[in-house]
Amino acid sequence: MPDFIDGSENVSVHGIFNWILLLLIFSIITVIGNYLGYKHPIGDSFIGMCILSLITLVGVWLERELPFNISSILYISVMGIILAFPGMPTSQTVLYYVSHVELLSIVTVFLAYVGIGMGKSWDEFKALGWRAIVITILVIAATYYGAAIVAHIVLVATGVPAV
Amino acid sequence: MRDNDGQVEHIYREKTDRRILRKNPWKDVRLHGTVLVLVVIAELIGTITIPLSHDVKITIMPLIYTIILGLAFYLVKPIKWIHRKQARIAEGAMMLFIGVLIAKLAVSSGQSIALIFDMGPALILQELGHLATILVLPIALLLGFKKESIGMTNSIGREPNVAVVVDKYGFNSPESRGVFAIFIIGTVIGTIFISFLVTFSLSFLPLHPYAFAMASGVGSASMNAAAIGPTLAAFPGMETQIEAFAGFSNLLSFCVGIYIVIFVALPLTEKMYNWFEPKIGRDSIVKTKEDD
Repeated sequence: MPDFIDGSENVSVHGIFNWILLLLIFSIITVIGNYLGYKHPIGDSFIGMCILSLITLVGVWLERELPFNISSILYISVMGIILAFPGMPTSQTVLYYVSHVELLSIVTVFLAYVGIGMGKSWDEFKALGWRAIVITILVIAATYYGAAIVAHIVLVATGVPAV
Repeated sequence: MRDNDGQVEHIYREKTDRRILRKNPWKDVRLHGTVLVLVVIAELIGTITIPLSHDVKITIMPLIYTIILGLAFYLVKPIKWIHRKQARIAEGAMMLFIGVLIAKLAVSSGQSIALIFDMGPALILQELGHLATILVLPIALLLGFKKESIGMTNSIGREPNVAVVVDKYGFNSPESRGVFAIFIIGTVIGTIFISFLVTFSLSFLPLHPYAFAMASGVGSASMNAAAIGPTLAAFPGMETQIEAFAGFSNLLSFCVGIYIVIFVALPLTEKMYNWFEPKIGRDSIVKTKEDD
């Protein structure tokens, strides 16, 4: 059963310390960008980033601590959904602070790291060339038409009038 | 190092962990300082909108500047302080920062649970329509892509999809190169392409107005905006409904879309790949290069 392997390993205190400092740096840069781009108050959006960083930290730690071969993305998603679930005692606070962090602010900082990290693979990117452009165009068209056609069929089937 | 018989996730985890957990990645002032400068420049320039005609406009957002400038800083010779070492740390740090992105999306999902139930079956089922991208896989194989095609055709290849693919296959895998290629090309040409696509489709396809509205939520804020413009113009008097459906569908694509990609699209794409590749696969056009 190759799917069920013990995915746990020990993370040193030093390692967790590194995670925390990296997330702190990421949060500070994001808050600065979030302030410049969207004028969100620095204090509130910093608390928002701390909440998101804490969820991330627990997620990546759980991925290594628990013996299941499950990606941290799932732990992080489940924690985020539960914390923000309407009716949860945490939801008001979490939503208030996290709403001050624009998704696009996070993405902007994240993509700066991606851009720098990607430099190493530039030559292979060039090799992808025009063929990749063709595939991109087809993929975007397929997404759009796939969604439009399914939505149309369901709308007609459920009797929503075409105003 | 543990024995992990071909578990891709763990192989990459070992590699990034070595950089992130055992060294002091936060000490690299050159890297983080550069990122800060890039972000400040990008946010100060802000979103630029170039109108081409009444409905069609190109939207260039700060996230496009940072990815291109980041790449340029690595590639351009006069910039001496960003080397392979910085690129490696950036790569390792990125694996951690994906978590913050996912956490933000998860909070949005939790918040909109009630709305998801209210808006009816069409909104949710149309998310499955995005699986149509997998039909492009045979074409990718015919054009000479190998495992790159799995990353390219499992979804539209926006931020959350990139996160999922990188997390599953590792940063240096062919699958990730595929999804990055789609991401970069989609970032540059996606917005203008979808404007034309929507304008064209509105005139030729007799679909329900709400279907056009929902379809415009492809999972990218800039593409969503580009797709709404012509749809609004085509159905005067229905602005409110079209905006509501388009916005919510895009939110769904961001939060629910992730799970469709993880649980349905990626396994399905892999199956299609295994079935089609021996039949129509060509010689790889991508020269494989050993990292490190």
